[in-house]
Amino acid sequence: MAVSKSEGAMIELKIDNQIVEVQEGETVLQVAQRTGIDIPSLCYHPCMSIAGNCRICLVQVNGRPKLMPACNLPVTPGMEIDTDSPPVREARRSVMQFISLNHPGDCGICDKAGECRLQEYHMKYGDYRPLSVEPKNHQPKFYNLSERIMLDNERCILCSRCVRFTREISKTSQLGIVERGSHSLVQRLDCASFDDPYSDNVIGTCPVGALLSRDFLYKSRVWYLETVRSTCTGCSRGCSVNVWRRNKHWYQRSEGAAKNQMAYRISPCENPEINGPWLCNKGFDLHKAMSRPRVLAPAIAGRDATIAEALSAAAHMLLDAKKPAAIVSAHASNEELAAFKVALGERVQVYTREDYQPAAGEVVEDDFLIKADKNPNSFQVRALFGDRPFDAGQKHDLVILWGDNLNYGSLGGARVIHLTSFESSQDRAADVLIPLSTTFERSGSFCNFEGKRNIFEKVFDKPTLVQHAGDVFGRL
Amino acid sequence: MTAPRVFFNFNITPDSHTLSAYQSRGGYQALAKALKEMQPLDVENEVKASGLRGRGGAGFAAGVKWSFVNKKSPVIYLCCNADEGEPGTYKDRWIFEHSPHQLIEGMVLASYALHVRHAVIYIRGEFDLPWRRLLEALKEAKEAGYLGENILGSGYSCDIIPHQGGGAYVCGEESSLISSMEGFKGYPKNKPPFPAVKGLYDAPTVINNVETLANVPWIISNGAAAYAEMGTEKNKGTKIFGVSGHVVNPHLLELELGYPLKKVIYEDCGGILGGKALKAVIPGGSSSPILKASEIETLTLDIESVAAAGSMLGSGAIIVIAEGTCMVRLLQVLTRFYAHESCGQCTPCREGTSWMNKIVTRISQGKGRKGDIESLESITKGIMGNTVCALGDAAAMPVVNFVKKYRDEFEYFIEHGRSMNDGRLEI
Amino acid sequence: MSCLTDKFDQLASTYPPEMRSSLVLPLLHLMQKEKKHLSEGDAIFIANYLGVPAMQVKEALTWYTMLYRQPVGKHVIKICRTIACSLLGAERLINYLEAKLGIKAGETTADGLFTLIAVECLASCGTAPAMQINDTYHEQLTEAKIDQILKELS
Repeated sequence: MAVSKSEGAMIELKIDNQIVEVQEGETVLQVAQRTGIDIPSLCYHPCMSIAGNCRICLVQVNGRPKLMPACNLPVTPGMEIDTDSPPVREARRSVMQFISLNHPGDCGICDKAGECRLQEYHMKYGDYRPLSVEPKNHQPKFYNLSERIMLDNERCILCSRCVRFTREISKTSQLGIVERGSHSLVQRLDCASFDDPYSDNVIGTCPVGALLSRDFLYKSRVWYLETVRSTCTGCSRGCSVNVWRRNKHWYQRSEGAAKNQMAYRISPCENPEINGPWLCNKGFDLHKAMSRPRVLAPAIAGRDATIAEALSAAAHMLLDAKKPAAIVSAHASNEELAAFKVALGERVQVYTREDYQPAAGEVVEDDFLIKADKNPNSFQVRALFGDRPFDAGQKHDLVILWGDNLNYGSLGGARVIHLTSFESSQDRAADVLIPLSTTFERSGSFCNFEGKRNIFEKVFDKPTLVQHAGDVFGRL
Repeated sequence: MTAPRVFFNFNITPDSHTLSAYQSRGGYQALAKALKEMQPLDVENEVKASGLRGRGGAGFAAGVKWSFVNKKSPVIYLCCNADEGEPGTYKDRWIFEHSPHQLIEGMVLASYALHVRHAVIYIRGEFDLPWRRLLEALKEAKEAGYLGENILGSGYSCDIIPHQGGGAYVCGEESSLISSMEGFKGYPKNKPPFPAVKGLYDAPTVINNVETLANVPWIISNGAAAYAEMGTEKNKGTKIFGVSGHVVNPHLLELELGYPLKKVIYEDCGGILGGKALKAVIPGGSSSPILKASEIETLTLDIESVAAAGSMLGSGAIIVIAEGTCMVRLLQVLTRFYAHESCGQCTPCREGTSWMNKIVTRISQGKGRKGDIESLESITKGIMGNTVCALGDAAAMPVVNFVKKYRDEFEYFIEHGRSMNDGRLEI
Repeated sequence: MSCLTDKFDQLASTYPPEMRSSLVLPLLHLMQKEKKHLSEGDAIFIANYLGVPAMQVKEALTWYTMLYRQPVGKHVIKICRTIACSLLGAERLINYLEAKLGIKAGETTADGLFTLIAVECLASCGTAPAMQINDTYHEQLTEAKIDQILKELS
């Protein structure tokens, strides 16, 4: 989903005395980024228009004294770029002085520390000693831009990435830069909320700690965390995400198991095929979806049982049943669906469903990422089993219900073997209840609405009594 | 002044700005001639041959700028830059107040050369009489058939849209003007692309100063050669200069380029107020480097000579400063101006203009500190050449040159907490 | 607001349709003439009329110095404080006005008659010192001239 580079002739130029082959239409910064040459940038984003306002990417061209911003510099044949000459270093020092001039230096209390470009560039390109003796400008500080996002205008460096995101990517234009000169600041409309369904992306696009996640606020320093790649289960686009967990070397007994083994936050995982570098707010909330109340122990008719007992009971029920059926889950992974088909595909009448429908107030579908089908793997379900909504008129005597969000009452009085991760409110207990793992607790893959396969990797160990669906079917 | 005049060639009367008065001076004959006998390219070549250079301050050859436009583009815009905001400059308002039809005729000629259907005049929002006179003149011109469809039966159509600014000096910068014209804040744009390639609404756009465009009818009527006979070798024609500051008789003068500056001050403007000695001159608007009295002894007013003296002809706004003026407080007036006018888009200008203003203000209030001068020098180095538009450079130039040439006054103010000249600006 | 949209329509008709977005600033001026000062709601109104994002108009409203977001007096006195006017006594005259009106630059008199603002170069450098009251320029100012002008406006 990145902005496509224009097709152009190949030309040669020199960057730091290195000959590089580039395509006409590229900018020097684009070339540097794909060849690993180090040119700093703050306001540049490959998916957005060129702002050219931070000036940190200034480079020297053909030895001329006037430096040019690499982000807006089209490549020309025979061009010679110097990214590390004394004038360039001097300019970077100056730019860092200017950016930091009114920056509050909140690092000690700022969540962005450790993943902040300003910190990184300050150490690499800045002066150690600030030149200014003037009091810093004060701006609105650390307030709720929305329920999800904190804005601190003092930390903001006015790179306009967040503004360009809402204008060009999510197309809500909910953020802007108002006032003039050194009074400029990022703001939303006073009378409206920042309720952009993609609002949380600005947390990642903000190069400093001006825009922060309220959900993640103060939960952890980022250097204690590491990422695991997963796939969002919020809709059939199946965006790639990063699940942030504590690195096990940083486990602290005093924190307790819950804090050591929790998902601290979700961020987009760049996937050019599916979601680019973006994610919708529902995706950012994936860890909350995964923390809904769980079914953690097997049960037979409401009484706790061991897994062996539960599976044995279920297997007997299946043998005894005259007209068994199963409703497969559209949240099931490709691997689990395959295991189901092998084990039970011929033994039961298979029905399909879309476990979740759009909730009240939820964006149904848009031109960007959000799809109306709120389930990650309808594609594979359809590929294996077609479209077969449950028919209560068939009077099944046993239903293997896989997944949640369905009331037993709509199953026509059948006995229920319920395999599910999450608690649901039911009028009666399941005949057999088998707890299942979530996508955070195993590896696997989904097929999104276009049939593109996307993987998720295990983030946490499953709770002890919880089962992997793929292990269960063979034992029924 | 012996050379023919392009502007100040009639007496101002209560209706010398009207269409009938302009026509009686030969107005719109150039347009009639061009539409009847010349092709668009002929008009462009004539302007090129005349050597006319931009009169707004940048001094770029007008005909050459026009030639950058791809005339095959489906839409091309011409914008007249009437945002006259460079401190010291007040010449373009004269054209609106007293000879608006000269601008209109110049614009239709330029539009004809550039294949423009809709031209725009971006006029600063504060102007009152100039705006009203412009609207009257546009109405007269439209009614007389010099604007609109099929002008003078030539088949060429052109309309001029008058558009008011909102109070922003930066909108005089061409790409800022375009942003403002498009309905946004006046944020300048990074170049490339240049306006002649991709400008207003992404169409090729030419932006010319009022005075530049108002020269075109004379050039077409009298020919490029006649225009090129005036001025210097590289800077042809005449220019309207506006004198202000500590002179007895500040006013506008139309002078052949190459006219001596000292003559302007002492003869044409009656010398310095109160018979005082000259201290300094800012020759081309506040963004041009200040020159000490000793530096203007033989200085002539043309782009090359002023550049050789270390300054800029700029907009031709000559600001005269008499002995006894406090240069620290005067600089503070300028740093305050640039800090107020910085659009805020790019880091060096947004932070740097505010920072310089804070320092100079502190010094001018007696709270200067050791190291302030060095800070100012360092800041100007960090701004110059590193900004999206020239406002950064324009803000830095006065600081560089005031500090360089009047360092003793700054050092005195910092050391003693007071001015060497009683803080005087008025003398 | 319907007569306002009529005025909007009239102004819009003088611009070619492909330049609709250019109307942001002209409509802000027009609306300010009607309402004396503008709020975010007015920016949204204009944005809806033009079909541009509300934030675009809000940004413009906060960026151009001629647009007021706080109430102003019947007569807004804008006195120039830039270089030529400063060399010819702007500071003295600003002090004079502040004392005469009993307010500081940026404030409005209690009777709502005058707002005093110190502004940047008005392009009256040859006829400095200068000020603008509402739309009208007043040049070559002296204390006596200021007295006369204010007397006529009171």
